[in-house]
Amino acid sequence: MKEMENVVYKDDITGWKDPDGIQFIQVDPEKCQACGECENHCATGAIQPMKNDEKRHVINDACVKCGQCLINCPYGAIYEGISFVDEILARLKDKETAVVSMPAPAVRYALGESFGHPAGTYVGGKMHAALKKMGFRYAWDNEYTADITIMEEGTELIERISKPSKERPLPQFTSCCPGWINFVEHFYPDLIPNLSTCKSPIGMLGPLAKTYGAETTKTKPKKIYTVSIMPCIAKKYEGLRLEMKASGYRDIDATINTRELAFMIKQAGIDFNSLPDAEPDPVLGMSTGAATIFGTSGGVMEAALRLAYEVLSKQTLDAPDIKIVRTHNGINTADITVPNFGVVKVAVASGLTNAAKLCEEVRQGKSPYHFIEIMTCPGGCVNGGGQPLDPDIRSASIFERIFAAINKRYILTKRG
Amino acid sequence: MKKTLQISRRGFIKVSAIAAGYALLGLNLAGKAAAEALGFIGLRQKGAYDADANAYKLRKSQDNPMVRKIYDKKIGFIHDGPCGEKSHHLLHTSYKDRSQTIKALKGAGIKLKV
Repeated sequence: MKEMENVVYKDDITGWKDPDGIQFIQVDPEKCQACGECENHCATGAIQPMKNDEKRHVINDACVKCGQCLINCPYGAIYEGISFVDEILARLKDKETAVVSMPAPAVRYALGESFGHPAGTYVGGKMHAALKKMGFRYAWDNEYTADITIMEEGTELIERISKPSKERPLPQFTSCCPGWINFVEHFYPDLIPNLSTCKSPIGMLGPLAKTYGAETTKTKPKKIYTVSIMPCIAKKYEGLRLEMKASGYRDIDATINTRELAFMIKQAGIDFNSLPDAEPDPVLGMSTGAATIFGTSGGVMEAALRLAYEVLSKQTLDAPDIKIVRTHNGINTADITVPNFGVVKVAVASGLTNAAKLCEEVRQGKSPYHFIEIMTCPGGCVNGGGQPLDPDIRSASIFERIFAAINKRYILTKRG
Repeated sequence: MKKTLQISRRGFIKVSAIAAGYALLGLNLAGKAAAEALGFIGLRQKGAYDADANAYKLRKSQDNPMVRKIYDKKIGFIHDGPCGEKSHHLLHTSYKDRSQTIKALKGAGIKLKV
């Protein structure tokens, strides 16, 4: 067990075969006060009281691994089941291995908090600098494949709009969010044809690193060790999915989240705040503003519309801001008028309870939309289960602790 | 040298009362300020939109020179373009119906929200 940025991680990753056998999110019964706050953040009901005990536990088969329970637990009672940190540190020491960093967009808007910056501070340049300093040979960037995702997913959308079929119907759902994919596979499998067939940006960067990246850097693919750095816990599951081996090797060798990266930077003794900004290596690292907004609810939609508008209208989109789709919480819908085409109807939702409402519409054949963006975590990846904790959540627990204690006593007396 | 803070009983009660009042009021004000402003998540979202508008030179994926390079029709690594054969092999996937596990849980009497 290791504590990183106030979250406990079990660090043994040896011997995994199938990610379905790994319990990514677990409750420590010693610390659980049975307050039930976690249940308020779980859309599937996977976290619930155990038989004969009010303490909560996670039903692994029903858990989408989003980690909202973990970041919202006032007692720090929920911990992560796996960490690749030790394995990465060992690989970084091995001169034969080319360790490659692949950070997600949302990481750079929260990592700074671990180094004293206010929430939302952009620290992308320092993040790349720190990774290089720790010995990552190539600083590639998941934002590059966010741009690639737009090309693939936008093209797919245009194909579906021009020729919808039973196999590729409308609306098209985004497929970047691993919690959402887990949700569809378990709870709405009949809507699988509506999911974009595009892998997520990291699902694309892994295989590109070991093919295109290997080619351009003249590195043997088997010597490349790819590290996915995510604001997420479910991305650990995604990285281990058995089918993720399109390159002929494991596409993604390790996945860590923002908290683990902050821990590694501190442990390496790097003075993060005084680092000069560094750029990622361009071939698999250059990105645009459309890519960086992937980490916020409505961002993938806006980025895709910046492409779809130009392709469908055959005109240049002069002002790329499409503020109408930016979504702070809940469900947001919009009609986007595209010249020479007509109206593109879109919906954006974060939180799986909201997603389920849109799923029901699709199931009943009543969904009027062309394209629907879903993110599991409220507000999007910036609020992902792998991000540094909101300091208010644990400090507010002084009061909650009292209520929980009274509650517990009440339950005991009632049963007594 | 260890110093002990000397305080009278009356003084202690007074300080405690002020501290309690301050704590309640202070928390309340902090809560209001957070609600009025964007909140923790909103600040991170704003960070991303600000960077998109100000820090990135290019703002559309199709304008990224490295995106154009990989899809170059002659020499690009994915020269058959988005959603072509090479893309389908490397960049696209398929999904699996896993609803059996949920059916099994429900069959065992476990209540879920969906």
